[in-house]
Amino acid sequence: MTHASESSTPATKTPESFWEIVGRWSMSVDHKKLGMMYVGAGLIFFLVGGLEAAFMRLQLAQANLKIIDPETFNQLFTMHGTTMVFLVGMPILLGFGNYLLPLMVGARDMAFPRLNAFGFWLFIFGGLLLYFSYIGSQGLYGAPSAPDVGWFAYAPLTDRTFSRGNSTDYWILGILVSGFGSMTTAINFIGTILCMRCPGMTLMRMPIMAWMMLVVAALVLVAIPVLTGAQIMLLLDRSFGAHFFDPETTGSAVLWQHLFWFFGHPEVYILILPAFGFVSEILPTFSRKVLFGYPLMVAATVSIGFISLGVWAHHMFVVGLGPVLNSFFGAMTFLISVPTGIKIFNWIATMWGGRLRFATPMLFATGFIAMFVIGGLTGIMLATVPLDWQLSDSYFVVGHFHYVLFGGTVFGIFGALFYWFPKATGKMLSERLGKWTFWLLFIGFTMTFMPMHVSGVLGMPRRIYTYEADRGWEIWNLITTLGVPVQMAGVAIFLWNVVKSLRSGENAGNNPWDAWTLEWSTTSPPPEWNFDRIPTVTSARPLWDSAHPEDPDAHYE
Amino acid sequence: MKPAHEDRIAEPPYLRAIPRPTQFPLVTAFGCTLLFAGIVTHPFVSIVGALCALVGIIGWFKEVFPHEETEEIPVVDCDVPLDAIVLAPKVVHATPKRRIVPEEIHPYRSGFYGAIAGAVAMAVVACLWGVLDEGSLWMPINLLAGMLVPSVGTASLDALKSFDLSWTIAAVCLHLCMSVMVGMIFVVALPMMPKRPMVAGGILAPILWTGVAWATLHVVNPALEQHISWAWFLGSQCAFGIACGSIITKFNRVRLQVGMSLATRLEVEQSESPRS
Repeated sequence: MTHASESSTPATKTPESFWEIVGRWSMSVDHKKLGMMYVGAGLIFFLVGGLEAAFMRLQLAQANLKIIDPETFNQLFTMHGTTMVFLVGMPILLGFGNYLLPLMVGARDMAFPRLNAFGFWLFIFGGLLLYFSYIGSQGLYGAPSAPDVGWFAYAPLTDRTFSRGNSTDYWILGILVSGFGSMTTAINFIGTILCMRCPGMTLMRMPIMAWMMLVVAALVLVAIPVLTGAQIMLLLDRSFGAHFFDPETTGSAVLWQHLFWFFGHPEVYILILPAFGFVSEILPTFSRKVLFGYPLMVAATVSIGFISLGVWAHHMFVVGLGPVLNSFFGAMTFLISVPTGIKIFNWIATMWGGRLRFATPMLFATGFIAMFVIGGLTGIMLATVPLDWQLSDSYFVVGHFHYVLFGGTVFGIFGALFYWFPKATGKMLSERLGKWTFWLLFIGFTMTFMPMHVSGVLGMPRRIYTYEADRGWEIWNLITTLGVPVQMAGVAIFLWNVVKSLRSGENAGNNPWDAWTLEWSTTSPPPEWNFDRIPTVTSARPLWDSAHPEDPDAHYE
Repeated sequence: MKPAHEDRIAEPPYLRAIPRPTQFPLVTAFGCTLLFAGIVTHPFVSIVGALCALVGIIGWFKEVFPHEETEEIPVVDCDVPLDAIVLAPKVVHATPKRRIVPEEIHPYRSGFYGAIAGAVAMAVVACLWGVLDEGSLWMPINLLAGMLVPSVGTASLDALKSFDLSWTIAAVCLHLCMSVMVGMIFVVALPMMPKRPMVAGGILAPILWTGVAWATLHVVNPALEQHISWAWFLGSQCAFGIACGSIITKFNRVRLQVGMSLATRLEVEQSESPRS
């Protein structure tokens, strides 16, 4: 690498007032500020969605409890699912992409800085519009004050006959608006990755996370418009007398399922691929080895992107699509496990024989692998059509996708937060508190979601409000609920860690983990222009090359 | 505030250019959200949202056109005297190595005029068919409206031969839109036709289009398919092609503006292209 000099600092200014700071951040088009705002807003929604889950678990802790009423329960699981997918997972992951991509590829900003800000604000206003339903959708007697049709909003439950008032319309519009934001961000990612890489950074020298984000952006651009189109059709059904999803006339309720899951399953990969990227950056750094099988990892990522577009109907095995379609989608689901398995073996091979340092990011990355393998294996079980017929819509499915999206995505996010927090703030997070966070989350997570598999196999359907005492589900539900406060303690310690570190944390320096990608070559936090001079790279590990000119990676490429 | 392309003085304190902070993306996003929120609240909310979005879009456009506005930040401890910072790759208007086809097209306004002429010619032929074969001027107009108005499909023959204001408006709008669309295609396509563009535009294209219509009309407009005369249909297509093509070819061709900036295309700035 040449000219990757450490950046200089801006001239000192007089301290700003609170409103000046608010104005500066809200008008900013800097990808780093926007990235941090994405992550911050996502974490706030994470707390809200987590509280909603906690209330649900309180209600289900024992048989025949009546802590909350059934209507509120319906709203809680709808808002929890919608919030976690659209307002937590996507914004946090896109936020990381926003923050890191230009730094990783050696650019000064995203390709379209203003479009970037526009996408962020669409996400914020979409989320606020969704939650405004608690206030705005009242006015019709007996109508719910928040969406209550599930995060997948199956037809014909969304028909005006069954969903009175405006709550479902708020669900449609909130997600519609934030979806447009996601699409603009995806366009920006693709433009930045393909057009703004620094000299020498060929596609095969990009950090692996940039590859993940490139595939994610492509998936967003394929999947989200389908959901947006379906939501517009649903809006036309509900507000303008159309009948796309009305089986009483010429519409089809199954059409909604096809459209929704054509978005919904790629969405799972939109949520997990960035976490793959985080782990693929963290593991080599803390194993002191290069990522094993970089080209194969790239190929596996691209394969996952393609195959993920052809597996959607495995969510619909119980609809009655017939043996041919069920077999096809079951086979495709088995097929996608191949590139996913390649990744897992490559991560293990990266760690194998390395000088492992179990700092907090590494703990989360390792925990990620363990949890994701379990979630992946139960996914393979559910791809088996006869088994799916038995377990569909049971708590087994809830356990499965939480292992993927919490054990996978959320653990990946926490690993990334601990890994890149020093870069973003210039301060180290406390390792001691970080380890507390990891173990509390790991234990709490396992307590909460592992028993769900058992209660599912015992026949407990998902989305039920309460249950009788004679089903054998009580002990599993109690353990599940007891895991929630353990996780909440872990999150509370993390928040305290952030506050404490920002106030009095140890200075991080430019490269506290001795990592090798370009973002670590600039100051912590980076200046607004990222690099004094645009760097030139000669391998996938530019910082290794500059530290070891006698043995650069370029010799092995 | 200076345009990004201007050089800066290479003396301390050094300046760094970054995109200027702006409120317009926020305003535009807020406006778009209100626009949608009006559906579940009150139309007034949508109106306010549309106004907000409009203000945001105009402000946004003015900030990036013809050049992106930047803000310069002085830095104190920099030891790297920088060259001019370029925020985006500079567009080099060199003669492209690849040949872009078509190199020249007719001006877009010629397509509009041609479309109007073609629309009139086609309407005359279609109305002739209506009067001579079906005994009603309104028959072809109402049948065309069937592409937009579902009730035409179930209308009686008498109704199809009678004047209906809404059907007529629908047919005229559809006819004009499709004519303009085809006119624009002719603008680009005719210069690519070998030697005799009028043959291609006036005869070959109508035959192909008639074939496509023959294959798909039962889906697009079942009412029209029941009553259509394919000979007259082909004649009306040829009338459009010949009238439209003859108008378009009267205009001189202009060079394609591929590779030029928007500012150059809109003639806000002089072209840097050696080809212009």
